[in-house]
Amino acid sequence: MRDLLTGPNLARLICLLILILLPLVVPSPYIRHLLIITFIYAMVASNWDLSLGYAGVFNFGHIAFFAAGCYGSAILSKTIGITPWLTIPLAGIIGVIAALIVCLPVLRLKGIYVVLVTFAFSQLCFQLVLSQEEITGGSMGMPLLPPLKIGDYNFARDGKFGYYYVGLFLLVLSTIYLHRLVRSRFGTSIVALRDNEDYAISRGISLARQRMLTLGLSAFFTGVAGGFYSTYVRVASPEIFGFGFLSLALSMLLLGGLNSIYGPILGAFVITLLSEAMVDLGPMRFLIISALIILMLLFYPGGLNNALQQAYKWSSRSGAAARLFRTNARN
Amino acid sequence: MAEPILDVREVSVGYGKTQVLWDISLTVPEDQRIGLFGPNGHGKTTLLRTISGLLRPWSGEVHLRGERIDKALPRAIVDRGIVQVPQGNVLFPELTVAENLRLGAYCRRARPRLADNLARVYDLFPRLKERRRQQAKTLSGGERQMLAIGAGLMGEPTMLMLDEPTLGLAPKLKDELLEAIGDIAGSGVPLMLVEQDLEFLLALTDRLYMINHGVVALDLDASESFDHDQIIQMYFGKE
Amino acid sequence: MDIGTAQSVLLSGIVLGSLYALMATGLSLIWTTLGIFNFAHGVFMTIGAFIAWQIGADLGWGMGPAAGIAVAMAALIGLGCLSEFILVRPFLRRPDVVLVAVITTLSAAIFLENSALLVWGGRYKQLPPLIEGKVGMLSTAISTHEVLIIAVAPLTLFALWAFLKFARTGSAIRAVAQNRESALLMGMNVPVLYSLAFGLSAALAGFAGILLGSIRFITPGLGNEPLVKALIVAIFGGLGSLGGTIGAAYVIGLMEAISMFFIGLYWTPAVLFGVMISVLLVRPTGLFGKR
Ligand SMILES: Nc1ncnc2c1ncn2[C@@H]1O[C@H](COP(=O)(O)OP(=O)(O)OP(=O)(O)O)[C@@H](O)[C@H]1O
Ligand SMILES: [Mg+2]
Repeated sequence: MRDLLTGPNLARLICLLILILLPLVVPSPYIRHLLIITFIYAMVASNWDLSLGYAGVFNFGHIAFFAAGCYGSAILSKTIGITPWLTIPLAGIIGVIAALIVCLPVLRLKGIYVVLVTFAFSQLCFQLVLSQEEITGGSMGMPLLPPLKIGDYNFARDGKFGYYYVGLFLLVLSTIYLHRLVRSRFGTSIVALRDNEDYAISRGISLARQRMLTLGLSAFFTGVAGGFYSTYVRVASPEIFGFGFLSLALSMLLLGGLNSIYGPILGAFVITLLSEAMVDLGPMRFLIISALIILMLLFYPGGLNNALQQAYKWSSRSGAAARLFRTNARN
Repeated sequence: MAEPILDVREVSVGYGKTQVLWDISLTVPEDQRIGLFGPNGHGKTTLLRTISGLLRPWSGEVHLRGERIDKALPRAIVDRGIVQVPQGNVLFPELTVAENLRLGAYCRRARPRLADNLARVYDLFPRLKERRRQQAKTLSGGERQMLAIGAGLMGEPTMLMLDEPTLGLAPKLKDELLEAIGDIAGSGVPLMLVEQDLEFLLALTDRLYMINHGVVALDLDASESFDHDQIIQMYFGKE
Repeated sequence: MDIGTAQSVLLSGIVLGSLYALMATGLSLIWTTLGIFNFAHGVFMTIGAFIAWQIGADLGWGMGPAAGIAVAMAALIGLGCLSEFILVRPFLRRPDVVLVAVITTLSAAIFLENSALLVWGGRYKQLPPLIEGKVGMLSTAISTHEVLIIAVAPLTLFALWAFLKFARTGSAIRAVAQNRESALLMGMNVPVLYSLAFGLSAALAGFAGILLGSIRFITPGLGNEPLVKALIVAIFGGLGSLGGTIGAAYVIGLMEAISMFFIGLYWTPAVLFGVMISVLLVRPTGLFGKR
């Protein structure tokens, strides 16, 4: 507890405080909207970091977990009529179920095959969503989803005040969850597996079990984020399967730096604002973002987190993100 | 003295941050066959890789017949006639023996005489001829060495560097290879041979360098009589 | 199901298989030579179709199909080489190149797809069939264009095989894949060979795109679904064996046609995915794979 208020933790608390106070100071509902979207992306990217970064599982189906949450919550709330207060946490469970389905074939696979299967899985989900028109609305999506309410108070009122705090709360929960997870025995074991599979297995760590847990655990808040997203924008649309969403999430992860949890969150803030600033550019926006990803990889593979760590002068740990990122290919 | 064929001048090189060779100098004079030996892991292969251009020296120079080559690309060096037969190599495992040999003559200089050289290699190693349609990965250890040397010869070397061609071979095969390499050397191709087997080296070369801890620790004329035990002691003693 | 239907299902399966074979062979070629997987492969297909349309079609510049195909092929070889140079070469010496290349090629796919959207817009375009008309085949009539696909795909693949097997450069491409260091020591220009493999692969994709462009509408997303199919084929056939890939392409094509007929359009992707997963559960490196 002593180090709770030192160094990076202090910085994080200050950031949190700023975020809590911000809506009281900055009246613009538009800024609030951007930040809500940022919170959602931050959850998606930082949870993705658990599988892609820490565990080194080449999971490219992460967006499918988000989409599962998105549609799951939409169907539960609109079609079945459950209150969104419940469907958002339930969306987490739906995300986990999607992750467990994709786990089945991935458990025994290596390297590139994991990429291919997970990617194919998310494309399959896309096709299914498109084809099951009666349930999902097909290419039109599901509009007019029920909003979050307490009594008669709609959370979208007062410039999305309510959504802002719900989103922030979820992000904080997800971050604490990830923070504790990567520092737990489990977190250490997945990193060990990634860095030296044979050794870790010989020490009795089960590859299949840890992989399943990794994917499942990384899917929970991703699904929650999906549920919250569709509730907030009040539509579940197949657009989220597109390359656009994928590239945004990926660029946040890379800009922030893998193996850091906080890096991708920071990346989400930077990229969402950047992407929003470019929203008038249409397709140009994606040209710029995808070029940015390649440039990042070319010139700054460690990501923002690395830069921050260097700034903190954690000399013993700085550069670790870049180094760990490089070791991922062994998987 | 005439200009040496190969002149390595104070070369230092390593991998990443670890230095392996420390200011190594040696020369290959015209008409001399050079042998390199020394304990495992002290930089013999690294030296050959540097000469071939796979590694760039940190400092120092390599000259081939007066021309500086330490900044040249591997394929430019091959085109000047330095051919290295790497250590313990399977070449291209899924290609057939014949395909492997043909690719040995890939460099421009060697192309025109491909057919002649192929006949010559099959002459030298009749076993390769029998197995020419076989995938390289199905060859025995000895046959692989023959293939590697044969592919080297296909490159029309003006200097041939062999890296431990007898590694892991039974004495009988060693004798066979000894004879074949002797033939090659006899045909006038300058040779740089890395070997652990001193007898083998002495039979084939005129001059010996011992590489120890990345420096030339000993420079011997093979025709002189020298103290065998002294070498052995240097080899194992001062570790 | 009567004989006629059976035959038309069979034929459409072979058409699909032919296209997938062209696509997946390119993926597999890059995988064997460079050890990376190219997610921009689908968009290469799209670009090929668009360029052929722009040059050749009447609504484009109307210079005729031959010019369209020729320019598209040349452009794709160039695009392939360029992609290798930007997306792969800088990372090739890094141990995590497999992962990095997934990310760079995905980014390139996004980049090119949106470029196509900017240049050509989202409106549907279509190439005229290379040969008009229909022919009676077995007991059904099928368009001549489809017959052409069925015939041309194996010919192209045969030419590729012959090139890799007999041409000096072709064997060098195979050699580089197997032992980079020895390739260097034999004086091969490794970067050029890598580029060439990428260029060839892109040209194959573009060619498939042109063939597909007169069966389906050309949109910026034209290549996305075939990429996923090619991906399934590549997994199914085991990456890296050309023969396995081609075989798997036809198997998947037929399976898709049969499943479309019996189960319907909507569940077919799920069926294919299911089959792929079952194969992987039994053989984690694909049906014919060895790695
Ligand atoms: N690719 C590489 N990366 C890092 N270090 C290397 C690499 N290749 C060789 N080394 C190191 O360089 C040193 C010299 O190796 P080298 O292969 O030159 O030795 P050698 O004298 O040929 O040994 P041997 O007789 O066993 O063949 C060794 O310590 C080895 O571990
Ligand atoms: Mg050696």
